[in-house]
This record gives sequence, C-alpha cells and structure tokens, in this order.
Amino acid sequence: MHMSDALLSPTVGLTMCAVSAGALAVSAARVQRSQLTRQKLPMMAVGGAFVFAAQMINFTIPGTGSSGHIGGGILLATLLGGGPALLALAAVLVVQCLFFADGGLLALGCNIFNMGVLPCLVVYPLVVRPLLCRGLTPRRLSAAALLGAVLGLQLGAFGVVLETQLSGITALPFGTFAALMQPIHLAIGLGEGLVTAGVLCFVARVQPEVLESTQQARPMEKTASVKKIAVLLLCLTAAVAGGLSLFASQNPDGLEWAVQAVAGSTELEAEGAVQEGAAALQEKTALMPDYDYADGEGNGTSTAGVVGSALTFTLAGGVGLALAAAKKRRAKQRAAEQG
Amino acid sequence: MRPIAEQLGQLTRLEELAGQNSPIHRLHPGAKLAATGVYLLCVLSLGRLQFGRLAPYLLYPVVVLSLAEVPLGLVLRRAALALPFCAFAGLSNLLLERQVLLWLGPVPVTVGLASCGVLLLRALLCVSAVLALAAVTPFGQLTGQLRRMRMPSFCVALLEMLYRYLGLLAGQAGSMLTAYRLRGGSGTGLPVGHMGSFIGQLLLRSTARAQRVYQAMECRGGFTGGSAAQKRPFTRNDWLYLAAVCLPCLAARAVDLPLLLGRLFVC
Repeated sequence: MHMSDALLSPTVGLTMCAVSAGALAVSAARVQRSQLTRQKLPMMAVGGAFVFAAQMINFTIPGTGSSGHIGGGILLATLLGGGPALLALAAVLVVQCLFFADGGLLALGCNIFNMGVLPCLVVYPLVVRPLLCRGLTPRRLSAAALLGAVLGLQLGAFGVVLETQLSGITALPFGTFAALMQPIHLAIGLGEGLVTAGVLCFVARVQPEVLESTQQARPMEKTASVKKIAVLLLCLTAAVAGGLSLFASQNPDGLEWAVQAVAGSTELEAEGAVQEGAAALQEKTALMPDYDYADGEGNGTSTAGVVGSALTFTLAGGVGLALAAAKKRRAKQRAAEQG
Repeated sequence: MRPIAEQLGQLTRLEELAGQNSPIHRLHPGAKLAATGVYLLCVLSLGRLQFGRLAPYLLYPVVVLSLAEVPLGLVLRRAALALPFCAFAGLSNLLLERQVLLWLGPVPVTVGLASCGVLLLRALLCVSAVLALAAVTPFGQLTGQLRRMRMPSFCVALLEMLYRYLGLLAGQAGSMLTAYRLRGGSGTGLPVGHMGSFIGQLLLRSTARAQRVYQAMECRGGFTGGSAAQKRPFTRNDWLYLAAVCLPCLAARAVDLPLLLGRLFVC
C-alpha cells in the first residue's frame, strides 16, 4: 500500500505531509512528557525494526498460490500504545522510502497517514483498545486483531483511492477505483488479522506481561494544552482548506443540480424591486462573490478557502464566547436571587 | 518480498556508497536534501500529458548517480518496486482515454498512452532522485540535518536506533527462516498457521533485546544523540550545488526547454 511520488500532485502530497506532521508532533509531545521516554525509546526502536523484519517474512495465502506479509500497525499499537506505535511506524516508513524505494519522499505524508495515523490513532483507540481493556482472553485478542487489521487496511486503502483521485493522476472513476481497491484489501486485511491474532495469542500465552504492561498502563497525562491543540487544528484547517479547495468541483452541487433540473439553470432569476435591491447590496458587501475574484478566472478559490475557514472559526468562537457569557450572567443572576 | 539476505545486501551496498568521498558526498546534507525536494516538486508539478518536458529532469539523477558510482541495475531494481501500482494506474489511463493526442507518422499517440508514459517516467525519476540522495549522504548526516531542522530529538534518536537495529533483527529473522526451512519447511512463504508462533518468537526476542538496550543506555547515562562533527555551516560549494540543481529545475519548470530546443531545428 506504499504510495509512490508519481501518484501524487504536489498540493495533495504537501497537504498530507502537514497533516501527518501534526499527528506526529502531538504523539511525540505526549510520549516525551509521559515520563516514559527513556524506557519507551528502545522498545519503540526495536519494535519498529521488528515490524520491518516481520514484513520480510511472507505467509502463504491459502488457495491462491500467492503470499503476503503483515503491515504491523495494529500489532505495534497493541504492544506499545497508539502514539508510540505511530512514531515507530513513521521511522520504518522513512527508512523504507530512503533505502528500499518503498514509497516516495513527497508521498511520506500520505503513507504515514494511511498506514500509521489511521490504524494507530483511529482504529486502535476506537476499536481495539475498548475490546482489550476488558481482559486479554484469546477470543478478545483474536476479535480485536481481526477487526482492527481489517478496518485499518480498509481505511488506508480508501485513503489511497482518495489521495490518487484528488491528485488527478488516474482516469479511473472514483467508484471503480474504490471497488477495485477495497475488496483486495479486505482479503489482505483478513490475512493480516489472522496473523496478528496468532502473534498476540502466542505472546499472551508465553509472556503475558509484554501485553499487560501496555494494556493496563494508565492513560498518558493530558499535557498538551487546549490552546496548543486549537492552534494546531487551526493551522491544519488552513493548510487543508488552502490546498484542497483548489480541487473544488466546478460541477453543480446537490442543490444547484436540483435547481438546474427544475429551472434549466443553476441561477434563478430574481424579479422585482426588492430582490434587485438585495442583489445589489450583496454585490457591494460580498468580498468574494461566488468564491472567486472579479476576473472570474478562479484565482480566488484558494484564498477564499482560507478566508472562509478563518471566518467560520471566528463565527464559531464568537458563538461559543457569547454562550459562555450568557451562562455566566445567568449563574450570577441566580446567585443574586438566592442571596 | 525478496529474500532477506538480498535486501540486507542492498542496504549494506547503499551504506558503502554513502561512505565514499566524492565532491557530492562532501556537500552539506541540507543542500542535498533541499535540492532533492525542489527537484521532486518540479517533476511532480508538471502536467499529466507533458511527457517531453520531463526530459531535462533526467539529467540530475544521471549526473549524481554516475558521480556517486551507483550501478544502474540497482536503480532499476528499486524503481521496479514502485512501478506495479503506477503501472496499474497508467494502464487504466491507457484503456480509458483513447482520444488521439498526436500522430507520430502513422502511429497514433493517445491521451492514455501519453499519461501512462508520464506516470512511469515520473516514478523512475522520483525513485532515482531519492536513491541518489541516500547513496551520497550517510544516514548519520541525514539525521543530523533533521536535528538542525528542529525535529524533536526524541524522534531523531528513534530513527537512528531503528536504523541501527534494522540489520540485526532482519538478520535474526533470516536465521529463523533458514532454521525453519532446514527442518522441512518449503515453498515461498510460511503457512498462516505457523506465522503466529514464528513472528511471536521474533517479537519476544526483540523485546528482550530492547530491555538490554535500555539497560545499556542507562549504564551510559542515557541517549545523548547528535555529534558535534555534524554541525558544520553551509559553504560556498553547498550554495553553488544548490543553485546548480535548483535553477535549471525551476527554469525547466517555467519554460518548455525541449520545445525551444526543437524550434532551433524545426521551423
């Protein structure tokens, strides 16, 4: 599932690099401040090297005559925890990219996101960990490994389809591409799930403390401040809005499509003095009418995306502040009435 | 996947190449990293039908790889790894986009053929550029550069340790696989039923090794990372190299150099 540079446009590649860098920074900050850094570092490094070595061992896929190897995302996350596993997998992907041409340099962001962020920070905490926190029985371990591996690979494969389509590299329609990728990765996911389940059950039987130490560990302290996370999310939103809005479709959206079907045009003609007055006022007040500059060349799309995000954030922040102020005022009034 | 010994041999070969002492090897790792970045961005930002405009970009990997004495066979083998998925995307273009773009004599060149060619050539160029970077820059210098770029030292230390233990654990996996096969296992891969205990064994050995590494680190007073020798400033040669790579790349991106060249010969 390693994506090559040739499959990506610079915009998609750089945007995904920014997103993955954000996820790595948050994971690194949490691991570093958890007081376990010195203890975890060798385990993460050797764990990464273990995944690399395990990927070199192929297993036979029954009935097909072909063979496959494990990805290791869910296995590593179960052993180390989501954040440390993401850091270890990112290191593996960097080495694979530089020395084995497995995935491109600009495509690193996409590969870290598809093979690291999705299984370690999405599937592991939402699916695998809740299943395992009730006890490490073979049945739970198998169910968690199978479900985690299948979901992780399905999400990753969908990420590949989405990123390739957004880059405009292939002429394959989105539906056809997804219909080709998802079933293949379902079969691979089942194979990986079975192997991961086998490994986890073996470790739980022979040396259970390796798994228990991670699963019973207290959740890491929430050391990252809300302010920092908000700033990070703001920057990511700006990057995504600025980068991906360049791909904003010029086809009519759902509502416009419906209007076109009924009226024959996406723009309804307004009639009457009131409508004309309102339209003139809107023309004067709108900074970027229809998300474009006056020349209509489409140069405004990207800027409009960033400005739009900023306005939405300001609006959302303003609503939040107004609600908090109203709540405070009400609490004061109640206190005064009781006093 | 290829045999473990072959893969480890390639890693060792790249390490040997990176340890040479050519003028390109002596350059600042930051200059080489930046030049590779600019090159990749220029190559990837060209349109999906601009096959001819990729031609000037062949020069960079050709020059750097030949100066670094990287064998062409190694590059082509690595590029072949990246090609299957690109070929899949390219072949779908070939089948779906059949409009004729131009005629080369009696041979029609379709849009699909052009985009497929661009995709495959791009893959080859990008793999060559990254390989060129790895073949002329020792890994320690690359991680030193990442430190200078303010990457958290914890992450850089992780990368360095992983690289250090990669060969060790891969070698261990290779030994286990050889032992398994000598006891009667055959074929290209292990049966799924045996994978759990096989990889589980490897995992337990890795965990034990990690604990020994941690204890050794504690005895040495922790992991300090980056040596002072890596901290050297940019010299005039580094700036010259950066300019020599980036300016032609940007010029070839801005102007259709093959077309200009062609106009000299065809009216």
